[in-house]
Amino acid sequence: MVWFLFLPLLPYLAWLVWAALRHPIPLSYNWRSLWQRKVSTLSTAGAIAVVVAIFVVVLSLSQGISKAFVSSGRPDQIVVLRPNARVELNSSLERDRARILKTNPFLARDAEGPLASGECVVVKMLELADGTGSTNVAFRGLEPAGVRMRTQVQLIQGRWFKAGLPELVVPRKMVGRFANLGVGKSIFFSGQPWAIVGVFDGGGSAFDSEVWTDVEMLMQAHRRTSYSSMLVRLSSAGKIPSFVKYLDEDKRLKLEGKPEAEYYAQQTEAGKPIQILGNLITIILTVGAIFAAMNTMFAAVASRTAEIGTLRALGYRRVEILASFQWEALMLCALGGLLGAGMALWFNGIQTGTTNFETFSDVSFAFTITPNLMGQGVAFSVLMGVLGGFFPAWRASRIPVTEAMKGG
Amino acid sequence: MAADAIISCHAVAKSYWRGTLEIPVLQGLDLEIPRGGYYALMGPSGSGKTTLLNLIAGIDRPTGGTLEVCGYELNDLDDDQLAGWRSQHVGFIFQNYNLVPVLNAFENVELPLLLTGLSRRERREKVLEALALVNLTDRMENYPRQLSGGQEQRVAIARAIVTDPDLLVADEPTGALDAKNAEEVMALLERLNAELGKTILMVTHDPKAAHHARIQIHLEKGVLDRTVEVNR
Repeated sequence: MVWFLFLPLLPYLAWLVWAALRHPIPLSYNWRSLWQRKVSTLSTAGAIAVVVAIFVVVLSLSQGISKAFVSSGRPDQIVVLRPNARVELNSSLERDRARILKTNPFLARDAEGPLASGECVVVKMLELADGTGSTNVAFRGLEPAGVRMRTQVQLIQGRWFKAGLPELVVPRKMVGRFANLGVGKSIFFSGQPWAIVGVFDGGGSAFDSEVWTDVEMLMQAHRRTSYSSMLVRLSSAGKIPSFVKYLDEDKRLKLEGKPEAEYYAQQTEAGKPIQILGNLITIILTVGAIFAAMNTMFAAVASRTAEIGTLRALGYRRVEILASFQWEALMLCALGGLLGAGMALWFNGIQTGTTNFETFSDVSFAFTITPNLMGQGVAFSVLMGVLGGFFPAWRASRIPVTEAMKGG
Repeated sequence: MAADAIISCHAVAKSYWRGTLEIPVLQGLDLEIPRGGYYALMGPSGSGKTTLLNLIAGIDRPTGGTLEVCGYELNDLDDDQLAGWRSQHVGFIFQNYNLVPVLNAFENVELPLLLTGLSRRERREKVLEALALVNLTDRMENYPRQLSGGQEQRVAIARAIVTDPDLLVADEPTGALDAKNAEEVMALLERLNAELGKTILMVTHDPKAAHHARIQIHLEKGVLDRTVEVNR
């Protein structure tokens, strides 16, 4: 995203590089000048660092949510829903239709039978471990095939739930965040305790935010007679369009099929509200940081008018003064950018969650601060340097020499 | 313009405006200075001597008349051309030295050379040569704050001569110095004039400093009052 913002500035940035190479007022002059005014340099760089850190963390959050959903789908699997049900929570699929579906010849099979899983999704409140309250969590009931079909999900502790028993398997990412989640513990709902018998790793997918159990047990507990959805795997991804058509046109079914990858990608919208809020905060802080950089650079120009006059008298042209002060602003902001990118690293690996506004349940994900995101943060600071430095640099280049010689 | 003149001013006028009020500073001044001359511009405050120096050095523009300096008609040059012309033909010496505080003596002297196409090695040779001339080679790593006033002015002189300009302009070069340092700086300027043939135009209030010049030009209310040859 940031790289795109650079496009209109490319000619100016290219000119700056050219100006620095052609007739350099030494860049060391600018770097050392920054440290002549340590307090204002450090406070401005600090302000920029905070903005960049927030920017990188917001990007990481948005990417974390996207990754959680995008990595959830396989290209050859279809989520079957009631027509016009956007999510499984709003959908229902009767058992007789599910039985018809399981006999479809397009379905892939493994040694234990067709790869199709009738599933039930409900939302339950779970208490947060930090004592700040509770939040909605999606509970998914699956048939055994459903576990086998989620190849990205790996059991890392204990065992899978057994059919017919009130047993749960929980994702590793939720273990630390919620109270009483862990092998050997149990949670109480629908009139009975449910034992936690295993922990799985969802590989960063949306399943990292779901508690899994036997579908029949979950349906009984909630007095459901129909599934929410069915996940089916086709013998090849190429059969998806004709299978979707079949679901829609077969009078016994009248169902809607969504490729699994597409279904989850659509849910990346879940992160939009928090992303919008994050972007809004970043924009407000960015404007502040640009003005801070501008203020610092205007002060630098004001305190160095005699130097500017001297350079002009020695033969440096206006454009060289402009480039020199613009470079100084870029250095100041890039320094802040590097600090901010470093600060964002503190968030790396932190497990957190947000609300999926499609399902009103929790989405667990980890902040992942990648070199690319840090690079975008530094690039963002350079953008601030261009915008915050231009007017002071322009002012520096326009001071008449004789006026500058008198110190402004 | 006389064949050997390096500076030729014809009817040079300069006015400043304060709102709608015109304040004339120079009023139709004619002056010729020969190549290799050493001239002191004198006169009371407000007589226009610094203004004239700025016009001749190409850092200000006249409001009337013509100026030919080092073979160039300055009125014909635009801002960038004038900057290029200054870098090649004029060396500046200021009352307050105007060294860049974050650059050491070597880097300060090197500044004008960065505008030339010289290689790093060639620049280094020229800087060392200039610093040797002002006897400050041993202080080249020092920053301005680590130098005395006299040493700072000598660094400034090294910076002024490092590009081997035809003309040195000095605005009160001893104004901020004590008597001993002032004498050293004046002796140095005299050497630059006598041994290297530099044309020097110096604005000064100080009669002792002016005595080092060969010709004193006295201005009064923006016009040439008198020219005095210095007898030594």
